[in-house]
Amino acid sequence: MSDHSSQDRQSGNDPQANPSDVSGGTGADRRKVLKLMGAAAGVAAPTYLRGFEYTRSVQAESSGPVKVGFIEDESGNLSVYGIQKLHAAQLAVKEINEGKTLKGGPDIGAGGLGTLGSVAKNPPTISKEGVALDVVDAGGDKSINEVVFDEDADVFVDSGDKGILGRKVDLISVDGQSNNALWQQLARRLIQQDKVDVLVAGFASAEREAIRPIVDQFKQLYFYTNQYEGGVADANTFCTGPVCEQQVIPVVQYMVEKFGPRGYTLAADYNFGQLTAAWTKAFAPLVGGQIIAEEFVPLSVSEFSQVIARVQQAKPDWVMTLLVGQNQQNYYPQAAAAGLKFPMASTVNMAQGYEHKRFKPPSLANMHNAIQYQLEVPTARNRAFVKRWMAMFPNDQYIGEMAQNTYFTIHLYAKAARLAGTTDQATLKKALELGWSIEAPEGSVFLEPGTHHCAHYIRLAVCDENHNVKFVRDWPSIQAWWLQRLGVNLVRHPEYKQYTPDEDPYFKMFLKKS
Amino acid sequence: MDSFATVISVLYQFATNGAFLLLSALGLIVILGMMNIINLAHGELMMMGAYTASIAWHRGVPFWLCAILAFVVVGLFGALLERTIIRRFYGRELGALVVTWGISLILSQGALAVFGPFLPAIPIPGGSVAVGQYSFSVYWLTNIGLACLLIIGLWALYNHTTFGLQARAAMQNAAMARALGVDTGRIYTLTFSLGAGLAGFSGALFAPTVSIAPFMGQQFVAPAFITVVVGGATNVITGAVGSSLLLSLVKTPVGFLLGAFVGTVALLLAALVIIRLMPDGVSAVIQRRIDRRNRFA
Amino acid sequence: MPRLLSLLSGPEDVGRSRWFWAAFVAVCIVLFVSPLWQSEFEATNNAYYLLNVPTALGLALLWGYCGILSFGQVAYFGIAGYVYGIVAGNMVGDSAGPIVGSLCGLAVCAIVSAIFGYFVFYGRVQNWIVPILTLVLSLLLETFLGQTAGYQWRVGTVQLGGYNGMTGIPAFQIGSYVITGYSFFYFVLIIVLVIYLALRLLVNSRHGKVMLAIREDAIRTELLGYDIRARQLVVFVIAAILAGVSGLLYVQWGNYITPSQVGLLQASLPVIWVAVGGRESLLAVLLSTCALNWLNYTLSSEGYQYALIIIGALLVVVMLFFPSGIVVTLAREVPKHGWRALLGWGDGAGK
Repeated sequence: MSDHSSQDRQSGNDPQANPSDVSGGTGADRRKVLKLMGAAAGVAAPTYLRGFEYTRSVQAESSGPVKVGFIEDESGNLSVYGIQKLHAAQLAVKEINEGKTLKGGPDIGAGGLGTLGSVAKNPPTISKEGVALDVVDAGGDKSINEVVFDEDADVFVDSGDKGILGRKVDLISVDGQSNNALWQQLARRLIQQDKVDVLVAGFASAEREAIRPIVDQFKQLYFYTNQYEGGVADANTFCTGPVCEQQVIPVVQYMVEKFGPRGYTLAADYNFGQLTAAWTKAFAPLVGGQIIAEEFVPLSVSEFSQVIARVQQAKPDWVMTLLVGQNQQNYYPQAAAAGLKFPMASTVNMAQGYEHKRFKPPSLANMHNAIQYQLEVPTARNRAFVKRWMAMFPNDQYIGEMAQNTYFTIHLYAKAARLAGTTDQATLKKALELGWSIEAPEGSVFLEPGTHHCAHYIRLAVCDENHNVKFVRDWPSIQAWWLQRLGVNLVRHPEYKQYTPDEDPYFKMFLKKS
Repeated sequence: MDSFATVISVLYQFATNGAFLLLSALGLIVILGMMNIINLAHGELMMMGAYTASIAWHRGVPFWLCAILAFVVVGLFGALLERTIIRRFYGRELGALVVTWGISLILSQGALAVFGPFLPAIPIPGGSVAVGQYSFSVYWLTNIGLACLLIIGLWALYNHTTFGLQARAAMQNAAMARALGVDTGRIYTLTFSLGAGLAGFSGALFAPTVSIAPFMGQQFVAPAFITVVVGGATNVITGAVGSSLLLSLVKTPVGFLLGAFVGTVALLLAALVIIRLMPDGVSAVIQRRIDRRNRFA
Repeated sequence: MPRLLSLLSGPEDVGRSRWFWAAFVAVCIVLFVSPLWQSEFEATNNAYYLLNVPTALGLALLWGYCGILSFGQVAYFGIAGYVYGIVAGNMVGDSAGPIVGSLCGLAVCAIVSAIFGYFVFYGRVQNWIVPILTLVLSLLLETFLGQTAGYQWRVGTVQLGGYNGMTGIPAFQIGSYVITGYSFFYFVLIIVLVIYLALRLLVNSRHGKVMLAIREDAIRTELLGYDIRARQLVVFVIAAILAGVSGLLYVQWGNYITPSQVGLLQASLPVIWVAVGGRESLLAVLLSTCALNWLNYTLSSEGYQYALIIIGALLVVVMLFFPSGIVVTLAREVPKHGWRALLGWGDGAGK
């Protein structure tokens, strides 16, 4: 106490005294006190009040709405992808609540149809304009071996259920703003506070890896619906997007067969680019090709004249472009303006950021892309799906592959919950590990029990000089076999990691020393 | 004959890199040189120029007119900014830096909210010219020419017009200039407007080569600032030219031999080293040399 | 001890009187007791708001008290986080791992900032160049870290991870007690309080006065015989270490770090926090950092896409009408003139 009074004396004598002590006395100090307490309370209280506003009360799991947690980047750089995925989720939830589902059921294993590919001798050509999938050129006869484009349209059927098990489905979606710290906070909120029954989230691998530890900590059922570099072996995570062996290998094989062995890789300088380039480099020699040079371009580079000069100097037969992000996509118009005419191969373009619609022809001419879905797939079931989507979102410009993945994943979750008779997450993970097939807009998709990944319907899309799209080759089902080769069996041995090619000795075996 | 083509290719890359740096930084340097204000909204002004060009182009306006339109629109916007906000920060450099950062946030996020994630692209005008196995974009050759013209135009503006005379007077000693009847307020507004207009013009020029999106300005922020820092504030023209040439001299061989990433790193490291050696920038060094020659003339 | 307390209560920060200290102690008690009614989720959220405070305090020290604006606090934030991840990640299972990792993280921050500061301050660059150079350093670091995706980029058993980031960073532990959840909230709270009080002592001490003199007129201070380059360097290093503390707490909170933590947007956030609160007061910065982080989180988790526009607008408004910062202006002007005068008052006093 004596210390306090000595302070008062000192402050009184100090010529630099705080003016409040000189003029206001205790009145001003009290105001300051109240202000400070108010400020502190204002900081602390809303975190508690917010709990009231946003948390649905925790109810017994057999009643109340089924909560689907959803995190995507609705603003920021990745919003062009995030908003598509959000619309996909909203469409799926609406259809489930209306009692509709996609055909499909539990399937033991994924079937070995991966290598059964056929060549389209004269496929129809689909216009890039609009979303009506106008056929620019009807092509030739269609038969079983020449790319059947008249598939079973009737895959959108009644579920016999209103919502899931009679409970309405609520989509709780939040905006990650391309900010990883925010992603973590939002994941924690959805899992710990809102107690969502399933989490569907993540575009970039960075975002997925930011929240996967949290998912594992709370054993949350989590679906990652994006194309990515592969390797996630996590008992709580189901990856329904395509992986490298489903896209890189088909397109590299095609390019080597058609254009020649010498390939040049241009990749974005981050994990996805590096790992996909590693796959390309390891696989090309096995089919007689060779990556003569690789260049990794930082995500911030938007001016490519030096990159173009280096490609011109190397004179490859074809160029593998794994460029991601809005800065790097400028490579295409710049290369076209510089007169670069090499055929290009990719796994990311057209199907995600719809560059063939956004850039003027002929920037993307001769681009070959092995994808499982893009808007232009000319099957009857896809036309019906696009129609349903555009009825709900008439202003959307494109439906990308990850949006389609999100769509069928949520339907798949509903089907698994109905079979399990519950939304209890541990039970549902077991139900999903039965192995499932579902008739997605892309075709038949199989969820593999041991790897938690999906076997996809893969098509090779080619973009011509007018930016119209045709599909020249298809593989009705390619498995995600890499994790199988690594011995991952999450049913027997749960794991929680991501494998990299580094841990697979097969990547280095059988490479000819040239 | 291949080596001849390679030499041409290297020269072309050198000129392109230099033009890119110069066009990125020009608006920033004009504002910095005059008012000692770091305009962190520079990237977003370029974005505004690109947006103006894209919207105009898709209404059928020919491209060269779009670029001029971008100059005018962003210039007017700059004048508005200056009158309302910036002029309260003269003499407070760090405050200006922070407030222009706030403005840049509002502009980029606002563009996202109003226009959505992308605007439709503009195709690159012109075709390509081949020398040996290399081909060069006519558009970039035009840009190199435009950059040179801009520099000459600025030099003429500063040294042969009344405005330039008054501007230089205000730069040297604002109080004295006012005493002599120069309306410094008007000069500052016009200068900021010019700097913003140049940023918009550059943005329009870059628009065909990049994705026209709300955050496209960010990719120019680093090169622009590095060019400005190395150039210094002593003399706008010599600083801009000297800095672009010097930095391009570093980036071109490194980038050609070792790839784009190492080129970027080399650029950043070079900037750090140059600043250590020439703290007031290239323009100060050149200015001192000119002064010394004048003194002994 | 009385001298210590008098230093603590010196004129260089907002709030000095007996009532202030009573309120301060009361708020601290409330915070310490808060886990009683807060879920662990809310406690960890509060811990997140608090752990950003040291980096903001470091910037306030550097900018408000010494006059040097730096965009580089995030660089040291990231360096400490990554170094801790590497060292502690390699020492998993060893209970001394986190402590050794933390010390290494701080040491590397100090060394890097000392080298960088040497180039900058001993080169006597102009004042406006420092923010740009520090921004360049942060961008360089982000670019470098972003391209470490390949699996050859590992130190010991720990992958740097490139843009995917470094995952599985161990939490802090003392002996065999792992600090997470509620205990982490207390951990952060104690560290922040200690740092705040220590900084308050510093700014009111003799060294603090010299710092202020450098801010006001560097040449005059030099003429009075002080080596301003050395002092600026010391303050720069202290600020870097404080940013490093934030970085350490961040990776211990989230067990994860990516290169985007040192990017352009993140680099500007400490500047915004300090500018809005009032760079000349440590307490103001402490309050504004917590408040703005809370605001950002609430706006974005509400699905509000305009979070960043609002923050940008807030920054512009603050710089125009409250140039000394909201909290500082309120604390200084309201007791003097009352609330009515505040409404009719336009431009702020001071820089």
